[in-house]
Amino acid sequence: MPSNPFPLAKSQLLQAYRTMRTIREFEERVHVEFAKGDIPGFVHLYAGEEACATGIMMHLTDIDRIASTHRGHGHCIAKGVDVHGMMAEIYGKEAGSCRGKGGSMHIADLSKGMMGANGILGAGAPLICGAGLAAKFRGDGGVGLTFFGDGASNQGTVLESMNLAAIWNLPVIFVVENNGYAESTSVDYATAVDSYVDRASGFGLPGVTVDGTDFFAVYEAAGEMIRRAREGGGPSLLECKMIRFFGHFEGDAQTYKAKGENEHNRATRDCLKMFAQRVTEGGVVAAAELAVIDREVASMIDDAVSTAKGAPLPIAGDLLTDVYVSY
Amino acid sequence: MKPVIGIIANPVSARDIRRVVANAASLQIADRANIVLRVLAALAACGIEQVLMMPDRGGIAGHVMRGIERSRNQGEHRFPSIFYLDMPVTGTVDDTHRAARLLRKAGVAAIVVLGGDGTHRAVVSQCTTIPITGISTGTNNAFPEHREPTVTGLATGLAVMERVPRGTAFAPNKMISVTVGDRTDIALVDAAFVTDGYAGARAVWRIHTLRELFVAFADPEVIGLAAIAGLIEPVSRRTSGGLMVRFAPPQEAPMVLGAPIAPGLIEAVGIDDWRRMPAGVAFAPTLGSGSVALDGERELSFSQRDEVAVVLTDNAFLTVDVAAVMKFSAIHGLMRQTHDRYTESLT
Repeated sequence: MPSNPFPLAKSQLLQAYRTMRTIREFEERVHVEFAKGDIPGFVHLYAGEEACATGIMMHLTDIDRIASTHRGHGHCIAKGVDVHGMMAEIYGKEAGSCRGKGGSMHIADLSKGMMGANGILGAGAPLICGAGLAAKFRGDGGVGLTFFGDGASNQGTVLESMNLAAIWNLPVIFVVENNGYAESTSVDYATAVDSYVDRASGFGLPGVTVDGTDFFAVYEAAGEMIRRAREGGGPSLLECKMIRFFGHFEGDAQTYKAKGENEHNRATRDCLKMFAQRVTEGGVVAAAELAVIDREVASMIDDAVSTAKGAPLPIAGDLLTDVYVSY
Repeated sequence: MKPVIGIIANPVSARDIRRVVANAASLQIADRANIVLRVLAALAACGIEQVLMMPDRGGIAGHVMRGIERSRNQGEHRFPSIFYLDMPVTGTVDDTHRAARLLRKAGVAAIVVLGGDGTHRAVVSQCTTIPITGISTGTNNAFPEHREPTVTGLATGLAVMERVPRGTAFAPNKMISVTVGDRTDIALVDAAFVTDGYAGARAVWRIHTLRELFVAFADPEVIGLAAIAGLIEPVSRRTSGGLMVRFAPPQEAPMVLGAPIAPGLIEAVGIDDWRRMPAGVAFAPTLGSGSVALDGERELSFSQRDEVAVVLTDNAFLTVDVAAVMKFSAIHGLMRQTHDRYTESLT
């Protein structure tokens, strides 16, 4: 039996694959179902970016908080939010994570430390500063992570939050999910720096850039940054360079992408395929074991969709509930 | 026709995990561009009229062109003409590879490289036939010598304009080749065998994963894994062969060494054994599976199924010997601009 060359045990590698496969199947299925016209509102799909959310979240527990983006399904799943609840929420059903009142861009589960997907660009950053400050006062070693894209990275809220995190030495990590496009605007046009590490160092934060399609690169870099934050080392920035397979939103004609770009990316930069190849060639996991996970996940997603479709909508009286929080 | 110089300054260098696990800095883009301008001014002072540069979208090219424009607007003619290579920019190390190949094809007389060990390795991996001049702007800078870039530019200009005899102007350098199955890659400074079987965040900072180290030269004044070798038995860049080191857990090792393996990071390293590494001899690591870090970055994974070999080659490629060129220049008055009685007394 060859030794395991990876930084995770076999069971963890299988869990990582399961998480990434769940995100992928979830997004591919939402892509199909959205086209049927049954899903209210907008959805922004995370397919292609699974390695980033998974590689990071494997270091987190329920006491750690994350603030997500409009493209939040992957963050939710990786943080452990119930998939059935998520699907029901996307369908606007009462059984949803937020009782059908938030939809795709507002899925949250505080019991899992998921502070919510967020439709406001860059809004997660100040929230995570608050979560980080709370963790610091509690002294429980908890950390906070905020995700934002290359477009949101130019928002004042993000820059102000980095400054605040630096001066208060908060246990937070700023994760830039740089997929090259802010909606349809290229990062080359909209961002004055090539690397967000330069931005971070301007605030006195250490920053690291990794290939966001490489699970192990993300896992290793995030692990060090999270450990450092837990131990009082303060904030840092992680830039993950990645690929989104779908458009900014479902219905996006993607005319800003080169011809064949999506096909090329699926063929050459698929983080799931690359992960599977690595762990099977490394002799730790058998392809058959991954195939079992594929079938189980497909079955679960099927069930989540059919359950969501059959679930009841909120009633009119629900408009007046869940408005205030009781302390 | 006057010689053309190539310049490669890839903004993607100096962005890795050593900023978190050590105290590695990140040289700002404007500072890198400023270094390029210093080099360009020095090259122009030596009579170089054309420079071919690697394009980038990190801002270096933009800053450089603005600097040249400002100078021109003030009536100064301090810089050569700059031409950018016609190549796509990916924002990865592939740009360095592609630029090096194109500069080789263009027949430039020398390539000035801004970066750390990884960037210099990337350049040499694509063209060993063109002399390079290194300017350290990366994370680990064991290979490029630390020096004011203006002087590096002057030495490069004098060297390629043949103001200095070739044997003085250019120095030979060693190189390590590592073969894993049918894959071969090189290192300019060190090849380390580690137990981590994946590239991951690439840098090596967990000492307990180190098993063997092969270095082309062992300089006690550098940081990085080669510092371990340098602090045991220095081997100069010009001496034939290198050094091989085998590691052991500190509690079991006959010797424990405090080594600066990254900027601001000094770790206790257990040394089991070391010996000189002769050139031209293939060595196989004792580690059955893991990965090879080339110049401090994990690159090649291997398992027990793979045949692995490490070979050091003397005289693998040339660099501009800046110290020798500037000394020659001083002795022979190459930078003097007027004839005076002092010149005759020195020759």
